[in-house]
Amino acid sequence: MMNKYIICCFLTFFCLYPSAFAQTQSEGSEIQNGKPVVFIDWEGADLELIQKAINFVDHTEEASIAQINVRVTSRAMETGDTEYTVSFIGQGDYEGDNDELKFSAPKDKPENERQMELADLIKMGLMRYVGKTPVSDRVSISFMDKVEPTAVEDKWNFWVFNLSADTFLNGEESYKSGMLSGSISANRVTPELKIRMSLSAFFDESEFKFDDEVIKSESDSLNINGLFVKSISEHWSVGGFFSTSSSTYSNIKLRLNPAPAIEYNVFPYSESTTHQLRFLYRLNYINVRYREETVYEKNYENLWQQSLEIAFEVKKKWGTASASIVGSHYFHNFKYNRIQLNGELSLRLIRGLNFNIYGRYSRIRDQLSLPRGELSLEEVLLQQKQLATGYSYRMSVGLSYKFGSLKSKVVNPRFGTGGRSISISF
Amino acid sequence: MTVNIGREKVRKIFLPLLLVLFLFCVLSARLSFSQEELTDIEELKKAAPKVFIDCGICDMDHIRTEITFVNYVRDRKEADVHVLVTSLRTGAGGREYTLAFIGQNRFEGIDDTHKYFTEATDTEDEIREGMAKALKLGLMSYVAKTPISRRIKISYQDVIQETAVKDKWNSWVFSISGNGRLSGEEHYKSKSISSSFGASRVTPELKISLSLYGSHYQDNFDYDSTSLESTRDSLSLGGQVVKSISDHWSYGAYFDSGSSSYENIKFGFTLQPAIEYNLFPYSKSTRRQLRFLYRIGFNSVRYREETIYEKMEQTLWKQSLSITFDIKEKWGSVSTTFSGSHYFHDASFYRLTLFNILNIRVIKGLNFFAFGGGSRIHDQLSLVKGEISLDEILLRRRQLATGYDYFFSVGLSFTFGSIFTNVVNPRFGSHGYGGMHIIID
Repeated sequence: MMNKYIICCFLTFFCLYPSAFAQTQSEGSEIQNGKPVVFIDWEGADLELIQKAINFVDHTEEASIAQINVRVTSRAMETGDTEYTVSFIGQGDYEGDNDELKFSAPKDKPENERQMELADLIKMGLMRYVGKTPVSDRVSISFMDKVEPTAVEDKWNFWVFNLSADTFLNGEESYKSGMLSGSISANRVTPELKIRMSLSAFFDESEFKFDDEVIKSESDSLNINGLFVKSISEHWSVGGFFSTSSSTYSNIKLRLNPAPAIEYNVFPYSESTTHQLRFLYRLNYINVRYREETVYEKNYENLWQQSLEIAFEVKKKWGTASASIVGSHYFHNFKYNRIQLNGELSLRLIRGLNFNIYGRYSRIRDQLSLPRGELSLEEVLLQQKQLATGYSYRMSVGLSYKFGSLKSKVVNPRFGTGGRSISISF
Repeated sequence: MTVNIGREKVRKIFLPLLLVLFLFCVLSARLSFSQEELTDIEELKKAAPKVFIDCGICDMDHIRTEITFVNYVRDRKEADVHVLVTSLRTGAGGREYTLAFIGQNRFEGIDDTHKYFTEATDTEDEIREGMAKALKLGLMSYVAKTPISRRIKISYQDVIQETAVKDKWNSWVFSISGNGRLSGEEHYKSKSISSSFGASRVTPELKISLSLYGSHYQDNFDYDSTSLESTRDSLSLGGQVVKSISDHWSYGAYFDSGSSSYENIKFGFTLQPAIEYNLFPYSKSTRRQLRFLYRIGFNSVRYREETIYEKMEQTLWKQSLSITFDIKEKWGSVSTTFSGSHYFHDASFYRLTLFNILNIRVIKGLNFFAFGGGSRIHDQLSLVKGEISLDEILLRRRQLATGYDYFFSVGLSFTFGSIFTNVVNPRFGSHGYGGMHIIID
């Protein structure tokens, strides 16, 4: 039984579950089982042929027992063409769910071709009903052509501009914090060329009260970012990054960083949502001015650096996996380098059993911006300033097992669930 | 084109080059061959429905890659079809997605609703495939009214109908999970471990859920010969039972027990019978609800350290009312919760809380959101009498005495330019561009 289920699943790709074994417990008047019953009222048509073409419904010759009445009428136009009107009228469970489609056939089109084209149109019209039954799992809808996503009339030529401003405040008697951010961006993304430019500013302040003493902390940053990517082929791209930044956390007054780059993707870019394995090489020029003198006794520097990133990502039926490695070093002294590893895996091992793991490790030998002075305990605890470190890591593992009535589709919102959610990311 | 160049060495070098050249030729030949058809399809695509997908949780790149017979726009006012996606959790831990197709502009008045269900253990890929399928089904009514419909193929694969299997678990779902986290650098290390067990049974008539949760956090700082260790533990067992009376009324009970180092609680137990009235039918919950939930019950606590009220243990009666209003429409969403509670032994021990989310898109290109909340707090019965150290405050390891707390956020975003968002271009990866990103779903 289970084996058969798995094979069926495989054959129909992702069709069979979840409603093949559907529990018929859902609230509302949803139709749960079997094909919808359709009556086609079309004078002069070869009904047998049409019914054979529309094989995902049950046909009836009794209008009154049908759940959907399909009526095809035609009228001759002045041009000699024929205009057909197809009306869909829902009955019973589909009461009130009606639709109407039009189709016009030139006078020289043979009758049998017209009928087949109309049958195709009826199929499309029936989707709104079929979509509410388990039959929809075995129906597949495909577009027969490849078309450029840019085949639209666009007077802005794909440029999109955005201005935004946000603020966030919170506090209680002994603690207050406030944040303000703003950004301007201009983007143009087409399959051939990707241009992204943005300017963003961020300001953050917090205050702790401890015995009559007030501990205040502030940080701000300003970033200008640019990205320009030209597509060469399905596997190669060239372009560059540009960034300027300023940050109190990293002791940077102003940092300019233009970086030409080239990328190779082992898989075609058009399959990126399923899998990608990208090699991205960057050559960085860095001009930096520090806020305070650094441990290396510098107030400003001009540096060259190169980096290579290898990123792998796959999203399949069994789960999602991604891994990346980034290595970089400065040219003036090779011992200033950094390696960063990242991995994430989320798997369904067997039905009900999910496993996920995330890990990140950095080996850090390039903290050129560390200030010379001492840091206070608050600066350390509140992570306001970057600390000297040779490494950093982060990892998490999770395992969860669910069993029981996993097919249940019941929704019961009583006593709350399903409110709004907010997610904030920086 | 010939590959026969005499010498072996030359061939080795040139073969890959030639291969690339050959591929290029094939590719361009194919392109020029289908040029004529292409222009025709481009014309059809220009007249295809313009769709706005209003869904914070959808994998948009996947949808754009899978469904190429419509045009995607970034502003709802530009769209011919507005697809509003809302979701609720199902009894089995999966989700029920409701896709409301709302016709506007040239499809004014043509509306439809489709549903799509996921299971708790579906993978990301399965969820996005299912969502794309549900979208395709719903979009057909609109696509059929445009010329691009000629190029759509619908096929059907008949398989033997599986008969519905009997549910031997009688709607019970159990889950067990464990999580571990580690992070650190030279001066700072942090680890945490948590584990939970849950059992639930959800039917339209009765909802039962039970969960056991435990966690342990530990941080270590080591800086300039100062070293600090800080921990936080909690253990809880909770549950609820809800019985449906009608489409507007329900009753049931909550219970909670557990311990928490943050709140200075060694062991606490709460039992609260409750009753709820929803002004809108519960079946409309994903789009709108106005619920009044009243609870009354007792709370019995043993403290870890003596409280500022000089107690080591207490048993108190309390009542609370919370009012929740949620609405999600084309123009945006509003969500408000107001709740108030007080203890019976002394009504001056009370708490009032207000929470609000507002997200509005009335003007083309303009998105406005505001959310905020605050509490008036007069019921911190568990506060520790003694002193609290600086690191406990900075790391938020202990609850502090306060009469209020609040948070507030407002944001405005204006977008103009091209309305189309058909393109997926993954080159050079996707990069964050700083600033704050807020998604309100």
